[in-house]
Parts: sequence; C-alpha cells; structure tokens
Amino acid sequence: MIQTVPDSDALYDRVIVERARAPQYAGKLEAPSVQGEGKNPMCGDKTRVDIALNATHIQSVRHTTRGCAICAAAADLMAQQVSGLDVAQAVSLSGRFSAMLVGEASPAGAADTSLGPLEVFKPLRSHKARIRCAELPWIALKEALSHADV
Amino acid sequence: MSHPSITDTSGLDLAAIRKQFPILSEKVHDRPLVFLDSAASAQKPDAVINAMVHTMHHQYANIHRGLYWLSERATEAYEAVRDQVAGFLNAPSREEIVFTGNSTEAINLVAYSFGSLLTPGQAVVISEMEHHANLVPWQMLRDRMGIELRIAPITDAGDLDMDAFSQLLSDGKVALVAITHMSNVLGTITPARQIADMAHAAGALVLFDGSQAVVHHRTDVQALGADFYTFTGHKLYGPTGIGVLWARRALLEDMPPFMGGGDMISTVTFEKSTWANVPHKFEAGTPAIVEAIGLGAAIEWVEKFGFDAIAAHEQALTSYALQRLATVPGLNVVGHPKERGGVISFTMADVHPHDIATLLDRNGIAVRAGHHCAEPLMRRLGLTATARASFGIYTVQEEIDALADTLVRIREFFV
Repeated sequence: MIQTVPDSDALYDRVIVERARAPQYAGKLEAPSVQGEGKNPMCGDKTRVDIALNATHIQSVRHTTRGCAICAAAADLMAQQVSGLDVAQAVSLSGRFSAMLVGEASPAGAADTSLGPLEVFKPLRSHKARIRCAELPWIALKEALSHADV
Repeated sequence: MSHPSITDTSGLDLAAIRKQFPILSEKVHDRPLVFLDSAASAQKPDAVINAMVHTMHHQYANIHRGLYWLSERATEAYEAVRDQVAGFLNAPSREEIVFTGNSTEAINLVAYSFGSLLTPGQAVVISEMEHHANLVPWQMLRDRMGIELRIAPITDAGDLDMDAFSQLLSDGKVALVAITHMSNVLGTITPARQIADMAHAAGALVLFDGSQAVVHHRTDVQALGADFYTFTGHKLYGPTGIGVLWARRALLEDMPPFMGGGDMISTVTFEKSTWANVPHKFEAGTPAIVEAIGLGAAIEWVEKFGFDAIAAHEQALTSYALQRLATVPGLNVVGHPKERGGVISFTMADVHPHDIATLLDRNGIAVRAGHHCAEPLMRRLGLTATARASFGIYTVQEEIDALADTLVRIREFFV
C-alpha cells in the first residue's frame, strides 16, 4: 500500500539516524567542570551534558541522552560542534541554532552564518512540534555553561 | 494511494458513516488522512457541525434570562440536551446532569465541592492507571484538606489489582473511590460494577471518569452503581468546551457551589446570597450554549447506530489491529487487559515513539505519542512514552493495514 517511508522534507537525514544509533560523544566525563540537564515534560526525554573547561575554552563534551532520534543526534552533533569553542562562542552558536530552527535570520552581530553539520536540522522548521527535541541538548549546554566561572 | 476502500464486517454502513465526516476526505502530506487518534479527540460528523451552525444562524441568544423569542428557543434547545444526556446515561433525573467545560472540570468540581465536605483522616482512592485529570485534582484536595490519597495498583497486564484494591478499602476510612471507566493508555475497561459494590460495602462513594468509556459502550449509571460519573463531549463526536457531571441528586443537594456568579443564585444581596436549585447551583455564568447543542446532536447521532453495533465494530477492529501489530518486528503492545476498548499503546525497539509518530504523520497517519497525560502510569510501566493508535466508529480495517505496513517500514528505516 505504501512503498516507502517518505520524508519529503528530509527531516530524518541519514546523519541524524546514524548519529542517534551510534553516537560519538555519548557518555560521562570523569571530572566535568560543569554539568547541565534538559528535560522535556511533554515526552519524558532527558539529556545530561558534562563539560570539561580549559580556562575559557570547552575542552571536551559528553552527553547522556534518553530521547528520540532528533534529540539524540542533536546532542551528539552539538557536542562535536562546541568542542574547542570558548564559552561565548558556544552560547552564540546556540542562539544561531535556535534561530535557524524557527527560520529567523541569524542574530545581529553573528559573524559566521554557516552552521555546518547542524544544518541537517533545518527541516524542523516545518515540524514545529519537534523543535524542542533538537533544542533540548542546547538547553542542557546553556545550563552547564551558566555555571562556568569565566 | 486513494482513500481507503471499506471492508465492512460490523453491520454498520461504514462507507456511509465516513461520508458524514468531511475531514476524512482530507489529505495530509499528499496522502489520505488516516486518523487514529480518536481517544484524544474524535472527529465531528455533519450532524454536529450543522446543528451548531444552525443554532448560530437562526436561534442564538443567551439563555435563562432573555424575555424574548430567540432566548426562549435557545434555552429550550440547551435544556433539551439535559434531558438527552439524562437518557444517554440512564440517570434517574434531568436535575442530576450538570454541564461543565469538560471531564477535567467535572472531576475538579467534585474534588472541590464534595471534597470540601471531607475531613482529615478520610481517604480518596484512585488507581495507577489514571490520567492527570483524575489524579492532580485529588492531590490538590489532599494538600488542601489533609485527607489521604491512596493509589490502587494495577497488574502487569494492565488490570486493576482487585485484591490490593480491597485492602485499600479495608480500614473504612475511604470516602471516595475515583477511577477511570476505561484507560486512555491501556484501553482497559475497569470492572465498574464490582468496584462500586466493593466501595459501597466499605462505606465509600464511587466516581467513574467515563471520558473514554461512553464512546464505546452503552452507559447506565444506575446499573454501574455509580455515585458520580463524568464525561466530555469532544471524544463523543461532539464539540470541545462541553462536558458532563452526573451525580446522585442527594449528593448534589449537599455539595456547596463550585463557582459563584450569575445563574447559580436564588437571591443575592450585598450581605448574602442563596443558591439556585440543582443543577443550576453548579452552572455559574453563561454556559457553552452552542457546544451543548452540539453535544445533543452528537448523542442523537451516536444513538442512531446503537451501541451494540458500535461496540461490535470496535471490538472486531481492535482484535484485527492486535493481530496485525503482532506481525510488526520489534513492536510491543503495552498492556493486555481482560477487557479493552479501541485503544492500543505500543513501543517499538530502537525507535522512539515521537519518531514513530512523526514518520507516520509523513504518511498521513495520525497517532498520539508521549506519556498521554499519565506520567505515573508510564513510570509504573517502566516507560517514558508510548505511541498510541485509537479507533472510532469511522475507523476501518484498511487504516489498520496502513498503520501496520508503515510501522514495518519505519523500523527498517531505523535499524
């Protein structure tokens, strides 16, 4: 009756499915500098982010995510993209990621408008109910960074 | 794919029924809509839509207060629905029917009003399978009045554990048992008569949350031995914004008003007011006039088919769905109650319920995914969320096939 699982907006890009299935940044850090958590009361999804800071820079990130493919892949790609950034750059990237999801222009003053691999989440613009899934790890990240003493 | 052809084994003319729901001919993402979320809210037949439009076109006015023709017609139409609802529930009296905004409001009314008559040391019993509407109001009552809230456990199959329930009643402190008549997650139809008999033997009253149940079976509050019964219009093919509390008249007489305002009074001075007779004592302010009339149209429409035929259709459909879903690799149906209505919750290994729901939606298939406003039940089941397919009078086998076939492909996509 139905030949495929059509996904006309390519929401479930192969990258998302693969990152959800085999995350590269999953786990915990032994001695994280800061931690943050994001919870979605609508679905019970949860993600916890451990960050090791080296002065003002994010040295490494690990996440523990219990959630859908969008949430799990978003956590993994977030960890990849913020590694090596300083705190201000990571917060700025978070803002640009959110702006992309709701289809807004990048916040004023953002130097880099390209979001690289994070652009696989762009089709969420037409799936408003799922935007929260992709944002959950970034909420956890921002909570963690709010504890950073920089 | 065209819209589903109809395999009809129920005696109901399903093709004719489906034609009465304009929305069932819609397309979603260029595919025919397969609507499998009736437990959340059912679609509306022309009869309901037309009754509401007719009211607003031809006989709308405020009720109970206008000394003119239109108001009298609207009042008659509104009050006629009270008679209809009384008949629908086999209530002894039309004065026992209180219109509310929905079932949640009806339960809150009981929790506030009947609850205010309770004293510390008394207890209310609910069950592990309650959704938030029949949990949170009792928690609020507990915190307000210092009563005890007891939770009756369920078995792993999803039935009420009757031995444990009996134990909870044994100290004679329970004033009220408030329990669902049909679970919105597990589909469990609870043994209402037995629950009522046990509650009454222990000196307790019983409230049934009938929002899911009234859609699938004939409801007779007297045969059930209920003291309170609640349901909502929008799951019964009626509009949103209208619900019903039925309670035995003596209880309503003893209960204080829930909300104060116009229409619920007898006399008002600046010093003191006295209350209108039941049920108006509980209907403050301008009610949902058009919605009540829509509910009346929905009841008339449903009763035309007869609940024997509706129940037979939905039972056949649910059995068929359980068979078809059993063939989907990795799929696990949550709960296997002894008696169930047309609600099936499931999980699928390696695929999150929200991903299931999103990908089904891309195929035009609407299901619910999440915790279904029943977080404690999810915790009891060791889950965070499920996907849920639920059926209505208009659901057909071909739609179950579309669901099962698409689930197979979704799993292949993820694994």
